[in-house]
Amino acid sequence: MLEINNLRMEYRSEHVSHLAVDDISLSVRPGEFFTLLGPSGCGKTTTLRSVAGLETPTGGAISINGEPVFSHDRALNVPTQKRDISMVFQSYAIWPHMSVFGNVAFPLQAAGMPSRQVRSKVDDVLSLVGLADYADRSATQLSGGQQQRVAVARAFVKEAAILLLDEPLSNLDAKLREQMRREMRHLQKRVGTTSIYVTHDQDEALSLSDRIAVIDGGNLIELGTPTELYLKPKSTFTASFIGQADLIECQVVGKAADGAKVRTPFGELIAGVHPHLAGSATHVLVRPECVELIDAATHDTNTFDGTITSVMFSGKSVEYHVRLANDFEITVQTPPIVLREAGASVRMHIPPERCVLLAGERRTGIEPRQTAVAA
Amino acid sequence: MKATAGSGFAARWAPTVLLGGILFYLVAVPLIVLLVSSVKPTGLPLDQGWTLSNYARTYSDPKFYELVWTTFRFAVGASLLALSIGVLMAWLVERTDLPAKGLVRVMVILPMATPPLLLAIGWIMLLSPRTGFINDVLVGTLGLEGAPFDIFSLSGMIFVEALSLVPSTFLILSPAFRNMDPNLEEAAVTSGAGFWLMLRRIVLPLLLPAILAAGAFLMIVGFVVFDIPGIIGMPVGIFVLASHIVYLAHDAAGGMSQYGLISAIAVFFLAILFLLAWTYQRATRQAGRFVTVTGKNFRPRPFQLKGWRWPAFGIVVVYFMLATVAPIGILTWASLMPFYASPSWEMLQNVTLANHEAFFSNRRAVQAAQNSVIIAVVASTLVALLSVLISWTVVRSKAAGKKFIDILSFMPIAIPGVMIGVALIYVYLVFSWTGIYGSVWIIVIAYLTTYISFGSRATHGVMTQLHPDLEDAARTSGAGWLRSMWRVIVPLTLPAILAVWIWVLAHCMRELSSALLLQGNNNRTVPVLLYNYWSGGQPNRAAAVGVWLVVAMLVVVSLWQFLVSRSRVGGAKG
Repeated sequence: MLEINNLRMEYRSEHVSHLAVDDISLSVRPGEFFTLLGPSGCGKTTTLRSVAGLETPTGGAISINGEPVFSHDRALNVPTQKRDISMVFQSYAIWPHMSVFGNVAFPLQAAGMPSRQVRSKVDDVLSLVGLADYADRSATQLSGGQQQRVAVARAFVKEAAILLLDEPLSNLDAKLREQMRREMRHLQKRVGTTSIYVTHDQDEALSLSDRIAVIDGGNLIELGTPTELYLKPKSTFTASFIGQADLIECQVVGKAADGAKVRTPFGELIAGVHPHLAGSATHVLVRPECVELIDAATHDTNTFDGTITSVMFSGKSVEYHVRLANDFEITVQTPPIVLREAGASVRMHIPPERCVLLAGERRTGIEPRQTAVAA
Repeated sequence: MKATAGSGFAARWAPTVLLGGILFYLVAVPLIVLLVSSVKPTGLPLDQGWTLSNYARTYSDPKFYELVWTTFRFAVGASLLALSIGVLMAWLVERTDLPAKGLVRVMVILPMATPPLLLAIGWIMLLSPRTGFINDVLVGTLGLEGAPFDIFSLSGMIFVEALSLVPSTFLILSPAFRNMDPNLEEAAVTSGAGFWLMLRRIVLPLLLPAILAAGAFLMIVGFVVFDIPGIIGMPVGIFVLASHIVYLAHDAAGGMSQYGLISAIAVFFLAILFLLAWTYQRATRQAGRFVTVTGKNFRPRPFQLKGWRWPAFGIVVVYFMLATVAPIGILTWASLMPFYASPSWEMLQNVTLANHEAFFSNRRAVQAAQNSVIIAVVASTLVALLSVLISWTVVRSKAAGKKFIDILSFMPIAIPGVMIGVALIYVYLVFSWTGIYGSVWIIVIAYLTTYISFGSRATHGVMTQLHPDLEDAARTSGAGWLRSMWRVIVPLTLPAILAVWIWVLAHCMRELSSALLLQGNNNRTVPVLLYNYWSGGQPNRAAAVGVWLVVAMLVVVSLWQFLVSRSRVGGAKG
């Protein structure tokens, strides 16, 4: 459906060159909801805009539906309006001088559709996004959520092969964002358009996507389904960028039936994910919500005793900091069923199938790289 | 709990009453006097009797409709030409990959330093059918029978007026071109629209309010302007509104000032002008509504001019040559000549500094320079102060009746300088005991009225940009009104306010129309002196004065642009 090969984008000004995209290759399947996830400045928006043809990359090739639309080597660059895409912008880019109808009708009129057909099609799409009664409103009279729906309707009406979405929910408040997220997922499944979604919000990425590409520093770090990336990440960057994570330094000391036996500062535990890393594993990932607080010893392994040092209650969950052996602190998140207090002694169990072995240094730098160019 | 400013009844009304009083005196009194004088037999507002004869004479005269038609053609022609050039320049600078943009910006804005009356004189020296340099050269090299160009025509006036209006047009339009969210264009392209469809359906409609605002502004200027039509048109009997009023006030047959007729004509034009001002106001507000707030901002992709980059640059250079280099060049030449002669190698040996020496030693010239400086400094300072207070009241305060202040401060944009001049003559002839008539102060008052509309609009913009939280933060930190104004508002807006101050200063220095009508023996300004030399048949002396006026204007305009560029980085949000 969409193929991106060795995409590279280097901005040059007089003194500084900025490498927005270093080398990204990926392929998106038909009907898929595909997300580009990464911190700001990682190159995800540049990648999306390159697919749209709004940026001209300095290297690589892109093809849509098997047809090449950009190739640096062949000096091919199909103009945006001739590409089989449509796009939703972060700022919505609703044209303030047109009505809701005018905005949504524009792509059809640009394609030269007779006005009678335009009318019925726009009406269909507007009722799909729940704006049937707003067709004649001026676009500037709408609320943020409604403007967002107009932007989505305008993108859907074109029935392009690929729908590009550039952080479409980031300008909405939290409640509305969640609602729109649900609507958007529903709409996409119903219409079945291949969608490329850019976001820096991991919750959004996890709940919407079929697959996620994690991008950092202009490179593709990891590609996978939400469950793969969350429960079995392969890189320390993914592990720490998606979700809350305790990355615990460790050393593999042997094998066990359900994984690898590793030594950590607070004792030995068995890690069930990626045991094949063996000697090259440097960290074990434990997510706070995957730790169980138990009262009696019901498990043979991965059970530790500790003392609660602080409690943070946030409604849907309670977060405890627990001091284990060697004064090692670990974060535990539980549903608010049993409430505990600071100072209490607790016993915890970390299921081996939720202990992920990871190789390599934890990456912290998420700054865009800037290099000076010799004048 | 002590009542604080902004809560009590008195506090709510104090700013309105104070500012309203000042503005009423500056704006409404002259207008009322003008209206009253139009129904007085002698044209003087306190004289006995009432009459409609001024109206009858004015509106039954076919010449009056000729005047209206000429003025209309002049205003529309100059506006359209200036608008076309201004739109092109604004687009080139803000949205394309034009080379040397910094230099281009200078070349488009710098012509502001050339006072329109000098532009007119310069172009007469270049295109006069008898002695014009360009005409001479063309006749000589092409062997023509007669001069190909005649500056003393309506098209000549339109041409020169348009040249002088381009910088303002550019300055009004370029923010609109710059601030348009590039996503709006990109959304059109991703919707499948090609370049022309995008231009027609998205870009032009979005820019339309800004273009309409610029157009209305240009039309207003075209209707009220005196200097260019006065210098080019009057000698050959092509009259527009402003020059006709000056003619009636000064040189009318019989030597008597026809004040009653002036007022009757003024009323007609005021109606048109207020309509234009209203259009301008609405269009500006509409343009503001179209500014959409965006999350992240991608630098707009400049339009690729490709092979047109240098030809486009060439167009700007041509404009700069026409608007500054050529007219100032010929003026400088003329200022160095003992008598008027076209540039030639033979005349080079006659170069003399006598005209310049005369300017610096002549008592009247020195006095004019002093008057100009005093008037410009005092008037611009008062305009800046008053504008800040007006804007704070209108934009920020909860003062009652602030709409009234807003309207009163905007109205003068539609009142021609010559009408303000005439009205002030009425007012201070009546109050002659004040001694204001014939002094520099009457001109200061005229400029206060003329420039308060520009000043307050500019400071409105500054105040709107300043986030209200900044002022509220000062209040919650325990500062009173005065302290939060002084420590927070003024420092944050200072560069912008200084830019307004300098702009008014520059315009006061070059203003001719009200100063001309209000001139007495001791309050002549440099432009008036220049005009008198020119119309009195001393072009070389006029040229020398002009050269020094341009030098002074250059300094002021450069300072202004420097402050404007600084004020963008200042404390304003966004």
